[in-house]
Amino acid sequence: MKKSHILLGLILSAVALNAAGQERYRRVPPPPEPHQELKLPVIETKPLTNGLRVSVVFRDDLPMMSLQLIIPGGESASPDRSPGTASCVAHLITRSTQLRSASDIEELLESIGGSLSVTTLEDFTIFTFLFLDDYLDQALNLLGQMILKPDFSEKALKSVKSILSLDYLDREKDPEFVAYRHMIRLLFKNHPYEKMGFTRDAVKNWNQKDLLEFFDRYYRPDNAHLILMGRIQMDTATRKASGVLNTWQPGEFSPKPLPPIIPPQKEKICFIDVPMAKDCAIYLGSVFPSTDADIDPPSLSVVSQILGGTVNSRLFMNLRESKAYAYFAFSEVAFNKASGLFCVRARVAPEFIYPSAQEILKETRRIAREPISISEIDQAKSYLLGNFPIAIERLSALAEKMSEIMAYDRENDYWNKYYQQILLVSPEKVFEAAQKCFLQPPLVVIAGDKSLLVDRLNEFESIEVYDIKGIHQYTTNKEKQ
Amino acid sequence: MVKKKIGVASLAIVMAAGTLLAQTADRYAFPFSRSQLRNGLQVILAQDEALPVVSVAVAYRVGSIHEPPGKSGLAYLMEHMMFSGSADVPPQQHFNNINRVGGNLNARASEDMSIFYQTVPSNQLALILWMESDRMRYLEINEDSLEQTRKELLDVMRQRKSADPYQENQFSFDQLLYMDFPYSHSLLGSEDDLRNLTLDDVKNFYATYYVPNNAVLCISGNFNKARVKELIARYFETIPRGKDPGFVPEPFKYTKKQVIKTEENPLALAPAFYMGFRLSLFAPNDLYSLTILDYILMRGRSSRMMRRLLNPDNKIAYQLDAGIERRRNRFAYKIFVVANNPFWINQCQSAVFSELDKLKSAYPSEAELSKAKNMFRRNYLDRIATTQDKAAFLCEEYFALPNLDELPLELEKYMKVTNTDVVTVVHRYFTIDNSLILNVRTK
Repeated sequence: MKKSHILLGLILSAVALNAAGQERYRRVPPPPEPHQELKLPVIETKPLTNGLRVSVVFRDDLPMMSLQLIIPGGESASPDRSPGTASCVAHLITRSTQLRSASDIEELLESIGGSLSVTTLEDFTIFTFLFLDDYLDQALNLLGQMILKPDFSEKALKSVKSILSLDYLDREKDPEFVAYRHMIRLLFKNHPYEKMGFTRDAVKNWNQKDLLEFFDRYYRPDNAHLILMGRIQMDTATRKASGVLNTWQPGEFSPKPLPPIIPPQKEKICFIDVPMAKDCAIYLGSVFPSTDADIDPPSLSVVSQILGGTVNSRLFMNLRESKAYAYFAFSEVAFNKASGLFCVRARVAPEFIYPSAQEILKETRRIAREPISISEIDQAKSYLLGNFPIAIERLSALAEKMSEIMAYDRENDYWNKYYQQILLVSPEKVFEAAQKCFLQPPLVVIAGDKSLLVDRLNEFESIEVYDIKGIHQYTTNKEKQ
Repeated sequence: MVKKKIGVASLAIVMAAGTLLAQTADRYAFPFSRSQLRNGLQVILAQDEALPVVSVAVAYRVGSIHEPPGKSGLAYLMEHMMFSGSADVPPQQHFNNINRVGGNLNARASEDMSIFYQTVPSNQLALILWMESDRMRYLEINEDSLEQTRKELLDVMRQRKSADPYQENQFSFDQLLYMDFPYSHSLLGSEDDLRNLTLDDVKNFYATYYVPNNAVLCISGNFNKARVKELIARYFETIPRGKDPGFVPEPFKYTKKQVIKTEENPLALAPAFYMGFRLSLFAPNDLYSLTILDYILMRGRSSRMMRRLLNPDNKIAYQLDAGIERRRNRFAYKIFVVANNPFWINQCQSAVFSELDKLKSAYPSEAELSKAKNMFRRNYLDRIATTQDKAAFLCEEYFALPNLDELPLELEKYMKVTNTDVVTVVHRYFTIDNSLILNVRTK
C-alpha cells in the first residue's frame, strides 16, 4: 500500500516536472529581437516669394492633417513695461478676426473636425491646427484671416483680457503653476526670459498700441515658418499657402540679441502662499547658457532620465515609493535660444515639504558627486531610445516635436541624429552634465497653503516667503527663532 | 459621395474570420485579421509598419455587471491585482519591464470589459506576450497582494469621494435608471463589499472570467506575421481553456414612466440634476442616429446645449456633461448639470427641455448635420491614432459588435444618418414618459 503511494507520487512528480520542463521558456524574460530601423519622415522646406518658409512632412497613415505657424516673437520679445503682450496677441488673433466672430471661428473649426492651440514660449509663438484633411483650404483660409485681417479692436481686446484674467485666476489655484512661474522669474531675473513669469496683474497693462506694434514687428512672413504634415506634397502645399498668404508683406526685422544667462550665485529656498491648496508643489531649477560648450544636450537627457524621467527613476523611487512623501517627483530638461533649464518638480503632502525638499536636494547633489553606474546609464539610454518612436506616434505629438525642431533649427542635430547621439553618450559626459547643472547653487520654490504650513516652514534654515503675486513678504531664519 | 461608394466597395472584400480585411481604398479603415486559438482565445492582428512600435491589448469580457450581490468591486480590484505578479513575473515587474525599454502601459475596467494594454519598441514584443500570458495562466493571488490592493482601493474610494461631491447622487441615479443590481451598482463597488471580499472570492472570479475563452488578444503595430504567430502559439496556445463563464444577462425591459426624485446633498456646492432617457433601441440604426444627435446637442463648444447653458455672456450652468451610456445591452442618454447659481437650476432644466423640443419641431440644417458628422469622424480617428489606440479599439469593438468583420462598415452607417433620422430619434426617445430626473439640492 505504502509502495503504491510512493510510486503514484513519483509518477505525479515526473508528470509535473515534465509539464514544467515543457514550459521552461516561461521562467525567464525572452531576449529582445534585433532593433528595427527607425525611418523618420523626411522634412522638405521651400520659401515662398514673400520669404515665408514652408515645410512639408508627408504622412499617410490617417486622414488628418496638421498646420503650424511659427512666429519668432515669444514672451521675451514683449515690451518690458507690458509683459504678456506676446501671449495676448496670439490669443487675440485666434479668438476673432475682422471677418469672423469668436463663435464663427469655433463653429468653423468644429465643422472641419478641427482644433486650434496656441503656445507662447520664450522665443516663439506657435499656432497648431489639427483637422480632417479634406479641409486644408478652410484651415488655411482661417489662418490667412487671422494673420491678414486680425481684430485688434477695443471690444476684442476687452474680451481677451477678461478671458485670460479668469484663466490666470483659475490657474493660480494650482500650486504647480504658481511654483513654476515663480521659479522662472527668479532664475531669469533681469533677463528677457523673466517675462515668461508674468502674473495676472500684467493683464491690465495690455493695450492696443503695444499689441499692434508687436504684431507689426514680429508677424512677418520672412521670419515665420509654416509646417504642414499629412497627405500632402510640397507643390500643393506651396501653391495653396501662396494662394492664401501671398499678400502677407515682409518686414524689416532684426532680432535683438539676447543677453547671456547668469545662473544664480546663491542657494535660495522660497515659499509662495496659495490659499486653499490641498497639496504642495516643489520645484528645483537650474539654468545654464545654451552656448555653453561643456553641456551636451543628449547627456543631459540621460541625466534627467536617471534622476526623474519616469516612475522608475531615482526621485520617484525615493520620494514616493520609498518614503511616501510625494504623489510624484520628476525631472525634465528644456532648451531655448539663450539657455538650458533643468528642473525637478514634485507634488507632495503638506506635512512632508521639509523632508521632500531635503531629499530632492540630496538626490541632485548625489547625481553630481557620485559616479553613476553603467547599468543605470544603459537603462536610461534604453528608455530614451525605445520611447522616442512611441512618443511621436500621435499626429499632435509629432507636430509639437516638429515645431520645436524647426523653431530652433535642430533638424540635423536632433531629428536625424537623435539615435546616434544618445548611443554615443558616455558615463564621463553624463557625469560632466550632472555636475554642470547641480554643483551650482540650487533654487528651490515651494507653493502651498501657508495656513497649513506655518510649523513646517520653520523647519527650514531660511526661507523667503512670497504672496501669490510674487511679492516678497518676509524671510524666516531658524537661528533667530 | 465618392467616399460612400468606396465604403460600399470595401464590403465586397470583407471575408470570413481569419482572413485579411483589406480596405486600403477607404482611408478610415485599416487592415486587420482575426483568428481563434484552440483554447478559445480570439486573436486580432493589425499590422502598421510606420514606426518600430508595437502594442498589445488583452481584453476580458468581465466587468461590474458580472459581480454577484455582496461582491461588488471585484472587477476593479482584479484590474489592480493583475499587476501583483504571476508565477514567473514578480510583483510590479510587469510595469518595470515595460518602463525599462521605454514603453508604456495602462489598464481599465468598465461595466462589461477589463482591458490591459501596453506599447513597446517592436523588438520587445515577445516580452509583452510572455508577461500577458503569464498572468492569464498563473496570476499570484495571495493574502498579501489582496490586502495591499484592498488598501489602495479604499484609498481611491476616499479620494474620489472627496474629489466629486456629487458621486453618491450619481450612484443613486444609476439605481433609478438601471434598476437591477448587476447594471446599477458602481464599478468601484461598495466599501463594505470591498472589505468583506475573501481570497476565495477573488480566486473564483479570476478562474471564471480571466480565461482564454473569455478573452481577446490584439496586437497592433510593426511585427513580422510569421514570428508573431510563433510567439502566440508559444505563450498563449499552451494555456488551458477555462470553464464557460456561463454569464447570461437577465432579460430586461425598461419601464415607460417618468420618475422624478429629489435628494439633499450636504457636500454639493450648487444645486444640480441628473436627467436620463431610456434607450430601448427599437430599430438597429437608431444608435447611429442617436450618436449624431449627441454631437448636435452636446459635443463641442458650438453645440446647442453648450451654447445655451455655457454661453460666456449668459452662463447659467457651471458644469454640463452628457452622452450615450452603454452597459452591455442597455443604453441610456444621461445629462448632468450643475447650476452656476442656486437660483438658476430651474432655468437650466427648462433650457435642456427647450433644446430638445426645438429638435422635435425643426430639422437641423445640413451644415449642422455635417459639422456633427465631421466631429464624430475626428473622434473616430482619435480612437485609432496610435497602435495602442487601435489595439484597444479593436478589442472594444470585438465585444461591442455582433461580428467584428462588420467594423469597416460601421463609420459609413454614422455618415448616412439624415436630419430626418435625428428628429425621429428625438421624438422616439426624448419623451417625458421616458425620462428620469434626480434633483440634487444643497443643504
